Amino acid sequence: MAEEEVIQKALADLRQATGLDLALKSSPAGEAASVADGLRRLALAYREKYNKIHFLQSLLTGRVPSYHVQDRARRLHIDPEEARVLYLMETGSSLDELLLEVLKGLFPARSDTYLIPVSANLEAVLCPLRTKSGVSPEESCFSLARTIVDTMNTEAFTRVRVSYSRSFHSLLDLSSAFQEASLALKVGGLFFSEQTVFPYNRLGIGRLIYRLPGDLCENFLREIFGDEIPEALDAETAVTAAQFFQNNLNIAETARQLHVHRNTLIYRLEQIQHRTGLDLRNFEDAATFKIASMVINYLATERNSAHE
Amino acid sequence: MASLSLEHIEKKYPNGFHAVKDFNLEIADKEFIIFVGPSGCGKSTTLRMVAGLEDITSGTLKIDGKVVNDVEPKDRDIAMVFQNYALYPHMTVYDNMAFALKLRKVPKDEIDKKVREAARILDLDKLLDRKPKALSGGQRQRVAMGRAIVRNPKVFLMDEPLSNLDAKLRVQMRIEISKIHKNLGATIIYVTHDQTEAMTLGTRIVVMKDGVVQQVDTPQNLYNKPCNLFVAGFIGSPQMNFIDAKVEAAGGDLLLKIGEYTLKVPPAKKAALENGGYVGKTVILGIRPEDLHDEEVYINNAPDAVIHSTIKVYELLGAEVFLYFDVNGTQLTARVNPRTTLRTGDKAVFALDMEKIHLFDKETELTIAN
Repeated sequence: MAEEEVIQKALADLRQATGLDLALKSSPAGEAASVADGLRRLALAYREKYNKIHFLQSLLTGRVPSYHVQDRARRLHIDPEEARVLYLMETGSSLDELLLEVLKGLFPARSDTYLIPVSANLEAVLCPLRTKSGVSPEESCFSLARTIVDTMNTEAFTRVRVSYSRSFHSLLDLSSAFQEASLALKVGGLFFSEQTVFPYNRLGIGRLIYRLPGDLCENFLREIFGDEIPEALDAETAVTAAQFFQNNLNIAETARQLHVHRNTLIYRLEQIQHRTGLDLRNFEDAATFKIASMVINYLATERNSAHE
Repeated sequence: MASLSLEHIEKKYPNGFHAVKDFNLEIADKEFIIFVGPSGCGKSTTLRMVAGLEDITSGTLKIDGKVVNDVEPKDRDIAMVFQNYALYPHMTVYDNMAFALKLRKVPKDEIDKKVREAARILDLDKLLDRKPKALSGGQRQRVAMGRAIVRNPKVFLMDEPLSNLDAKLRVQMRIEISKIHKNLGATIIYVTHDQTEAMTLGTRIVVMKDGVVQQVDTPQNLYNKPCNLFVAGFIGSPQMNFIDAKVEAAGGDLLLKIGEYTLKVPPAKKAALENGGYVGKTVILGIRPEDLHDEEVYINNAPDAVIHSTIKVYELLGAEVFLYFDVNGTQLTARVNPRTTLRTGDKAVFALDMEKIHLFDKETELTIAN
């Protein structure tokens, strides 16, 4: 890019952020980069000081020193001490104008709810914790998350998943709320893929597995499967075990639902026992197998995302 | 409007959860189809697959004969009304209904025409300038419907749209939805866990359990001819009574033995029991509460179908009375006329309407004779 062009771009950025229309009459040759950098810093400083959304974006990622938070929040007319919940909305495709308009429609220019862009397909919604009589805060948060999903589905015809953090009372905790909601989105997507709303405080055993280092997971699987750890359970084993667990280890009901004779089901369970040493009719073994299958899915998903 | 075809539709999630299994259904143009079943039975997942909000693992989905498995939701020509609808609080009723069309850059005069037509159908003409907070719950629900109607879709998909309303409003909205179906001549797929909604709205009902279709039939047939124990128990409130009965042959007749009581099997059911090899075996007898009679005329006319018990609970519901009592260790419920003289603690005699009994295989839980 020509030197002139670099500077003009930085000036346009500054104009967009501040409304200041500056022009550079001349600049010493070879210093365009440093001039442009200076202009960009000016725009950034202005945004951080005067733009609510930019300030909140910086807070999400922990880029604002804690001793500045209260003061800057007040200057931007954001109450630094209010019970709030952070929602993260992830869309299957990029957040286009239509999606953003629908989301803005749900949360119109109200001074206490903020839509914060995070990435191309991730938007954060910072909401005050609202409670109605007879509705617990938990129900209220879940209901709002469901409303976001249902509205995006029905109005924008888009698949979305929503996670949310625990409630927090100070903007100082926004960064950790963001980490909580991000974790909920990731763990929820891995272990509860049939759902679309993931509260941070309902991640169950998935939360534990997600925290385990890969080598520990592999050691655990080696105990069960020996040296040949499967990359994924074969369809028959996965379906048989999942159905058996869904039916609380009830053989007759599982056989009926799988449309197989009970002896066929017993044969399949014995095959699993032969391979793993785990008798799924026994609660402890069933629990171990369930965790093992979650670990296998987790490792497979991690592998796939590493390849993408 | 449109017809739909769901052929061998399956949904398996990456975590191994098998939500929908071999779902087959042909939906005719202008049908009002209900998916009903307990929580987690796969009804919403199936609807979401039709909407394109969930990928179909295997099987074929056709709308008007065209395979749409890989068609984006926005291009399927559908409209949805879900449970957790939200109206845009700062917009008027008119703008709420027009919003999606405006975003899609539909010409203004066309938007106006569609919104006013939808408002007329929904009886919202006089409320178009109001904001949502000035509307009642039922009016808000109608606006949510309006947002779907203005799209003029081939198919309406509704997922528990009345669940957030109170009981009185639900009844009112049921009537409204029924009217909308008639006025629009629309193809509607409607998901609910409420069997009353299912029975009153649907032209056909799909009963699901654990991701498997149990029965697809008209409301009347589901009630009168359930194909298995689950459907028999799920449809009807209070639910059908079930009690174990041993099938015995006596002379040319077949008898059902329930403890000390003996009931004579009517000819229509007799052949099915004999042909199925049930003589000497225990089956499950099902009888609806309204087919247990305490009136003397019934008792005198049915000496081969009488049971005795003591009333444990008497519940007066105004137009009817529920009586709860035990027979052979199983609690039964009778729905009787409020003029009954029976009260809690009374000795009672009930006659079973044997033409209306249902018999189920104890192991497979499938119906033996209807």
